Amino acid sequence: MECRDFTLQLDDWLDGRLDTFRERSIRQHLNACADCRRRHQHALAVQAAVRELPAPIPHPSFVEQALARAIRGPGAGARSTRRRLVFGMAFAASVVLGLALGLFLAMRPAPVQTVSLTLERPETVRLVFNSAKPLQAATLSLALPENIELVGYDGRRELAWQTDLNEGRNLLQLPLIARGAVKDELVARVSHSGSSKTFRLRIGVNNAGPAGM
Amino acid sequence: MPPVSPYRQARPAAANFEDLIRPQVEYLYRLAWRFTGSVADAEDLVQDVLLKLYPRTRELLEIDRLRPWLAKVLYRQYVDSIRQQARSPIADLAADGDAEGNPLDTLPATRDGPEEHAERSAWRERIIAALEQLSPEQRAVVAMHDIEGYKLEELETILETPLGTLKSRLHRARQQLRALLPVEPFFVGERVKA
Repeated sequence: MECRDFTLQLDDWLDGRLDTFRERSIRQHLNACADCRRRHQHALAVQAAVRELPAPIPHPSFVEQALARAIRGPGAGARSTRRRLVFGMAFAASVVLGLALGLFLAMRPAPVQTVSLTLERPETVRLVFNSAKPLQAATLSLALPENIELVGYDGRRELAWQTDLNEGRNLLQLPLIARGAVKDELVARVSHSGSSKTFRLRIGVNNAGPAGM
Repeated sequence: MPPVSPYRQARPAAANFEDLIRPQVEYLYRLAWRFTGSVADAEDLVQDVLLKLYPRTRELLEIDRLRPWLAKVLYRQYVDSIRQQARSPIADLAADGDAEGNPLDTLPATRDGPEEHAERSAWRERIIAALEQLSPEQRAVVAMHDIEGYKLEELETILETPLGTLKSRLHRARQQLRALLPVEPFFVGERVKA
C-alpha cells in the first residue's frame, strides 16, 4: 500500500468500513510508515476534539417559553400592544442600545449587550433595529427576566406583537423597572417570513446613582 | 410499532405535545447548536421546529423512533432557514460600539466555573472556528455522524442524501478540519481516545 492509498482509505478505516483484507493491509502500512502513523493520530485527535466539543444546554426558561409559543401558535400576541410600546412611552432617563445589521443567521451570534438600571426607577431602554429593507408584519417578541417589569404590564413576562419595520433605523422603547437583582437576560426576537432572530440583553442593577452603560 | 393509546389520542393536543416533545427539546437544541454554531440561532431553529410540530401532534403520537424523525425535521428547517436567509432582508443585529464579540460569551455557564470556562474557551473557539469553515451540509453530517453517532445508512434517510454523497461530504469535511486544526495540541495523549 502507498501513502496515497492510506489517506484515501483512512476515513473508511476510522468508521469501521474496511473489509478484513484492506484493514490488514492498512495496518501493515501503518507499522512501516511514520508519516501515516502521524496522519492517523492526527485524524483520531481531530475527531475526538470535535466529538468532545461541549454543546450548551438550553437557557433555563427557553424550554418553557419555546413549548408555550409553539402551542400558542405563530404570531401570538396583541397588535394593540405594539402601539403602546412603540409610541406611548417616554421617560427622562434612557439607556440606548444600538444594534446594527450584519448577516442573518450568521454562524456567530449577535453579541450580548449590557445595560444598567437603577433599582425601582423606571428607565427606558431603547433598542434600535436597522433593516436593509422595509418589512411588513414582522413579529417582535420579548421575554423579560425575573425582577424586570415593563411599565404598564405588571406581571407580564412575555409579550409579542406585529409591526412593520422601516428601511433603516427602527426604534423600540422599553420602559423597564428593576425590582431586584437580575440573573437572566432580556430576550428579544424578530421573526419574519418563517425566519427569526434572537437578541439578548444583560441587565445590571445599581442600587444607587444614575444608570450607566 | 407500538399501539397508539386511545387515552393519548383523546387528550388535548397541548398535553400530548408537551409529553412527547419536552424530553426532546434539549436534544434538538444541542443538534441545532451543532448545525448553527450559535446559541441564538439554535434557539430560533428549535422554536421554528416546535411551531411546525405542534399542529402535527397526532402524527407525532404514531412515530416509533421519534428522535431520528425530529432530527430530520430539524435538518429540513435548518436547510430552509439557510435558503431563506439568502433572500431575507433581515440581517443579524450585530452590536456596534464596544460590545463583546466572542460567541462563547453567550454560552450559558452551566457546568464550568469561571476558571474552567476561561481555560476551555480558547480550545473551544479553535474548534468552533474550524467548524464554521465547513459548509452547512458538511457541518450537519459531521454533527450527526461524528458527534451524535448516527450511521451513514441512517443519515441517508434523515438527511435525504445518497450514501455516496454523504461519504464524500464527510471525507471532505474531515480533511478540511484536519487542515484547519493544527497538530498541537492534538498530540497530547490524554485527549486521544483511540
